[in-house]
Amino acid sequence: MSSSDAFASMIYRQLKRWWNNRSRVVMTVLNPLLWMVFLGLGWGGIFSPQSIPTAPGIPNMPSVADVIVKAIENYFKQLFGGVDYVTFMITGIVVMSAFIASFISGISVIWDKQFGFLKETLVASAPRSVVILGRIVGDGIVAAIQSLLIVLVSLLLTNNINLINTPIAILYVFIMTLGFTALGTTISLKFSSMEGFQMVVNLITMPLIFMSGVFYPPTTMPEWMKWIAKFNPLTYSVHAVRYWLAGANAGFEYMNPLTDLAILIAFTSLMLVTAVKTFEKTTVED
Amino acid sequence: MSEIIVVENLVKRFKDVVAVNGVSFTIKKGEIFALLGPNGAGKTTTIHIIATLLRPTSGIVLVAGYDAVKNADEVRKRIGVVFQDPSLDNQLSAYDNMYIHGRLNGLRGRELHEKITKLLELVELKEYAHKKVMYFSGGMRRRLEIARSLLHEPEILILDEPTIGLDPQSRAKIWDYIKYLKKEFNMTILMTTHYMDEAEELAHRIAIMDKGKVLAMGTAEELKSMLGQDVIYVTLKKISDDNNLCKLFDFVKACSMLDGNRLELVVDDASKALPEVFRVVSLNSLQVAEASYRRPTLNEVFLHLTGRELRDSLEQPSVPQRRRVRGFR
Repeated sequence: MSSSDAFASMIYRQLKRWWNNRSRVVMTVLNPLLWMVFLGLGWGGIFSPQSIPTAPGIPNMPSVADVIVKAIENYFKQLFGGVDYVTFMITGIVVMSAFIASFISGISVIWDKQFGFLKETLVASAPRSVVILGRIVGDGIVAAIQSLLIVLVSLLLTNNINLINTPIAILYVFIMTLGFTALGTTISLKFSSMEGFQMVVNLITMPLIFMSGVFYPPTTMPEWMKWIAKFNPLTYSVHAVRYWLAGANAGFEYMNPLTDLAILIAFTSLMLVTAVKTFEKTTVED
Repeated sequence: MSEIIVVENLVKRFKDVVAVNGVSFTIKKGEIFALLGPNGAGKTTTIHIIATLLRPTSGIVLVAGYDAVKNADEVRKRIGVVFQDPSLDNQLSAYDNMYIHGRLNGLRGRELHEKITKLLELVELKEYAHKKVMYFSGGMRRRLEIARSLLHEPEILILDEPTIGLDPQSRAKIWDYIKYLKKEFNMTILMTTHYMDEAEELAHRIAIMDKGKVLAMGTAEELKSMLGQDVIYVTLKKISDDNNLCKLFDFVKACSMLDGNRLELVVDDASKALPEVFRVVSLNSLQVAEASYRRPTLNEVFLHLTGRELRDSLEQPSVPQRRRVRGFR
């Protein structure tokens, strides 16, 4: 069966490329680690009860102070869905790094265009839909492996990670990365300018990350930002992954792991169909 | 069915340029057919349309009886393509490039492995099989691309400028492979080139293209005889007292005596005229010491057809091949 062969060969190619590029493998883990250590531990101190007793305005009476500290601690916990800030952020970073990795790998179709490998896939006798799906799934697998590595690294920083549920969380990550790889693929098939490459990545990834609840819960966002966050697929994967990894529930009222899954599947399906349709029509003209 | 590629009245218009403007030709099974012309003549565009990588504005392209637009999948199954620009994955090894190509084109397992090994051996890259392509020289990459295009044993091999930018040794090697493929597998080969010697050396038939049109088509001999004016040089052993030897050759277009014992005869077709020249010479009890003729080269044919030299046109800016479409600013 030649279709499954073509599918497998594209997965093989994406994995092999990732593996051949060892420095990239290290970077994919190192970069999120920097975020987790510095941003997580840095802000984590602020959003924790240790910082409270010295705050101005807190009366210097042990019993009252204790009550206030407890209350504030509870407030933070409730704000971050029932966990401390470090755990909150670390679980977000797992999704964020998978998201960036998948979007960039989709966008890197533009490199295939530049270096000509795209033409090789365009004249292959296998159906184009199979070829592009293989490529996307290959990238999805790479992103999923990376986020698994990051979950393992995060064990050094927090002990609130539920390892038993980790495979479920990774499954959510995988579904999401397929969607964003497909989106990146579609974008780079439509546009060919290399100069715009980095800009598109930043222009799309940064706002999506900030409006997804990676660094702060979506419930505390201003109304307009909340509104955008609700249309951001990343919000749902952040919420679900946080739920499965740490048992946290920091999101809008209607969000639960099942609605998250439904929304992610819908988003990813739409993106995959778009990418396949685009690739089938691709010529060397654009 | 002997006509394996049929191109009829092909037109391709890009936003601002007409790259191909009413091109028609047919290629027979087992033939090596060359599109010869300067950069920007529309050769690559024509080839891209045949390879299903571009949609024509109008016209018909049939490959092995399949329409290149409507039945692109069937066409892709039958062709192997070597592009003008590299299309290898630099980050992977030669073997992996071959392997992925094989899997993408319906090969697998032991059979695939053996074919890869055999082809890498053919193009003398076997010892570099597991080196990353990024460390390969231009000639090695080209050979790898040719090997790769042969992996799924296509009926038709499409070569876009197969020896562009290569050193003479690599060129000679690639010419040898092309001849070998024709001889061994009776493969149909469609190639483009802007080297006259390459077209002449390899192709059975040549179509001269310029500015999106086919100006002339035929074997190299046919093309050159369009000009008619072959020049024969005959050196005689002993010159007779009669200084007016030219009157003997009344069948030639023009005749003149050069210094010494040399005659210069302008004829339509030297291969037909030469025996007659020899006959006349021996009839008059003269002896030929040396005879040669110069035929017009394809460059002169191109000059004749377009009014300019092919090698001059090479220096003109070409129609941009890779256009930047709507960039983000």
